[in-house]
This record gives sequence, structure tokens and C-alpha cells, in this order.
Amino acid sequence: MTKILIIEDDWVLQKALADYLSTEGFETKTAADGESGIALALAEKPDLILLDIVLPKKDGFEVLRTIRAEEITKKIPVVLLTNLDSISDVEKALELGATTYLVKADYKLEEVTAKVKELLNIK
Amino acid sequence: MSPLFILCGIIKNMKQLKRPKKMGSLKQKIINEFNLKKQADDLGIKVWQTPSFLFIVMGVIIVAAMTGVYVISKHYDSIEVLVLSESIVVALLFTIGNFIIKSVEEVAKSNKMKSEFVSIASHQLKTPISEMKWEIELLLSKFSEGLTEKQKEVVGEIAHSGAKMARLVNDLLDVARIDQGNLALAKDKVNMRKLIEEAVEMQKEFALLSNVKIKTTFKSKRLDVIADKRRILVVLDNLISNAIKYIEEKGTVEIVLDGNAEMIQVSVRDNGVGIPKSEQANISEKFFRSNNLIKNKTDGTGLGLYIAKNIVEQSGGSLWFESIENVGSEFYFTLPTTDQSKVKK
Repeated sequence: MTKILIIEDDWVLQKALADYLSTEGFETKTAADGESGIALALAEKPDLILLDIVLPKKDGFEVLRTIRAEEITKKIPVVLLTNLDSISDVEKALELGATTYLVKADYKLEEVTAKVKELLNIK
Repeated sequence: MSPLFILCGIIKNMKQLKRPKKMGSLKQKIINEFNLKKQADDLGIKVWQTPSFLFIVMGVIIVAAMTGVYVISKHYDSIEVLVLSESIVVALLFTIGNFIIKSVEEVAKSNKMKSEFVSIASHQLKTPISEMKWEIELLLSKFSEGLTEKQKEVVGEIAHSGAKMARLVNDLLDVARIDQGNLALAKDKVNMRKLIEEAVEMQKEFALLSNVKIKTTFKSKRLDVIADKRRILVVLDNLISNAIKYIEEKGTVEIVLDGNAEMIQVSVRDNGVGIPKSEQANISEKFFRSNNLIKNKTDGTGLGLYIAKNIVEQSGGSLWFESIENVGSEFYFTLPTTDQSKVKK
């Protein structure tokens, strides 16, 4: 089963994403802060990571930096899910190695899932 | 008197910064320049705090002080008295000058705070809006088993209200960014024909409910522009929904796409109530809503055109309109086919 790691501190958004992805046949793992997100990424080796930027303990940028530096996680696609949509935040994330980014308030769960499937070549 | 010159400069600059852009005649501009109440309303302060009022007070005090010194120098033939009176005048001027600078600073500061507040508040509002949107989507698409049609309809209405709120928050955020000169535009390759079709699709239901037909004509072969796709869609959406809104009973909205190698031009024409001539100069001001028959029948914030005009202009194009009351309005905008956005990515 394809495994998705969701690192999101907003409980409602985390649950909605996990529920939706589960019904679409994905296995989901969740973390609510940057530190446990990194730990879970290393332990679970997910197929894809959905990552928020504003997170407690370590923010999304730091998580991304660590994921890209570690041998076992460096090739995992990372989709940034954020409501920060300023050009500088987006540029910074892409420079750090994010695969793509989606603005939460502008995207439906269906569209987020479609993006996940597209990146993992699932039809 | 050089501090005075600096002061005049600051006050002048403040006025340029804070005054809304006007398209009216010179006469109107001069009248507005001395319309202290309007200035105070625009700046959200009391009349006695407006830069123009303080400037007038300063002028009156200077004349009075000068006259005072003149009278004193006439009556007392003493250097000491003259030096003392001039010192008092200088001290007085510095005190008042300082007061004016402080007032002007306060206005500027509160204006900046207001913009920042709108920006932070709308960012914060985006999270609960996302929560609501996703939960409703989850309910309707994955867990709707057992819900009656009526219940689905009610949830659908909640979703609709959520979408309206999301739109409003996006608009406010855009206005805050425009005011801060910080509206960042993406550079997408946009197929204008497809985008217009998408915008028409978004308004289809509203048009049907309002007895309005939407007609599209694509004259131009050159259809691609480099611009921010999501925001140009907002421009089209604003113009089309306005056109529908201001048609009283039934009518037609005609959208024409034309252009050449350098520019594309979109026009949106309606046969609605039109914009009264007296109000045409104010139409792209923030929060402006035309004072016509339809005003009370439709909702709106008066931000749409302000945002549309700024997006188009920042993308290197222009937006303008022609309107005759009780005949209809036609809005035009152009966009360059090559990238001329002022914001570097």
C-alpha cells in the first residue's frame, strides 16, 4: 500500500487529509510538529510527504532541509501545503527541494489527491 | 526657514500617498484638496488632524507671529526685546512644526498598522476557511451515505457561504498587498480563450438565475499571454459578475477577445443600468459602489474593480470603461502578450 506522511499541526486539516486519502486507498501516517515529522519520515520511509510550513518545534523549511540531507529520505517527493503564498516563501521551499506546493485555501481535497497520484504515477 | 520647507515637503508627500487616485477634472481636484471633511474621512481621522488643516493653522500662526514681531520692533527700540521676541517666535514654530510632524507620523503609522492587520487577519482566516472547505468536501464526497437530499442541499449551501467567505478573504488580502505595494504576481502562460471560457462557466448559474445570456466572440488568433492565471481569472470573474449584477431584469453580456502580436484586448459589455456620469470618476476607488437602482438589490464589497484595475496595470496592461446610464456599460482591459510584469520572480 502506498504510504503518505502528513506533517500538519492543524488537527482538523490533518484529519480531513488523512480520512480522504485513506478512502482513496492510501496508508497514512500523521505528525503534528516538525521534529516528530522528521522522526516518522526516517522510520516509516513514506512514498510521499505532505508538509505544512508553519509548524511547532521545527518549521517546514527545516524539516525539508533535513529530509533532503538524509540518505534514506532524500528522494521522497515532498508537497508543501501552506497558506503562505508569498513568492519568497514559495521560492525558498522550491530551492530547498520541495517537489511542488499547494495553497490550502485554494485547493480541494480532490485536487490535492490528484496531485499526489500524479507525482506517484498512480492512475 | 528650511525646517518649514522640509515640513511642507513631508505634508505634500503625505497627501500624495494617502489621497486616492482620481480621474476627475482639475476643478474637482482643487475642490477636493480643500475639502477637509472628505480628507479626514479618507484618512479615517478627525478634521483638525488632517495635514491640510494643520498646514493652514501653521500658516495663520506664522503670519500672526511675524506681525507680532513687527509690532514689537516698531514699539520697542531695543535689541534685547527684538531677540527675545524672535526667539519666542522660533520656539513657537518649532513646537508647532514638531506637533504637525508627530500627527503626520501617527497617520502614516496607523495606516501601516491597518494594512498589516488586514494582512495578518486574512492569513489567519484562511486556516479555518480551509478546514471548513475540506470537511464539507469530505462529508459530501466520501461520507454522504444516509444523508437525505434536503440535508445535502443544506450542506451545499454552507459550502457556498464558505466559498463566498474565502473569496472575500482573498480580496481583502489582495487589497492589503496592493496598498503595501507588495502584490506578487505569478508568471503563467495563459490561454486567454480557455480562461474566458472558465470564467463564463463560473458565472453560468448566476447568469441563468438572473435571466442573462452570455455571448463570447473570439476574434484574435493570438491567444496566449504571460500573466498570473489565478488573478486574471479574478479580473474576468469580477467584470462578468458585475455585468450580470447590473442588468435589471433580463439582458445579454457580450465578451469579446481581440488582439495583435503585442497585446490582447478583452471587452465585457452589458445592457444594464449603466453608471451615472457623476460617479464615473470614482468607480475604481476602494469600497466604491454605484448609487443606482440596483445597489440595494445586490451584494458586493466595492473591492472588485479596484483589485482588477491594479492587477491589470501591474501586469503591464490597462483597464478602462465606457458607460451610459440606462443603456449599459462596456469594460475593456488589455494585457501584453510578452511578460511585462513589474515584479521580478
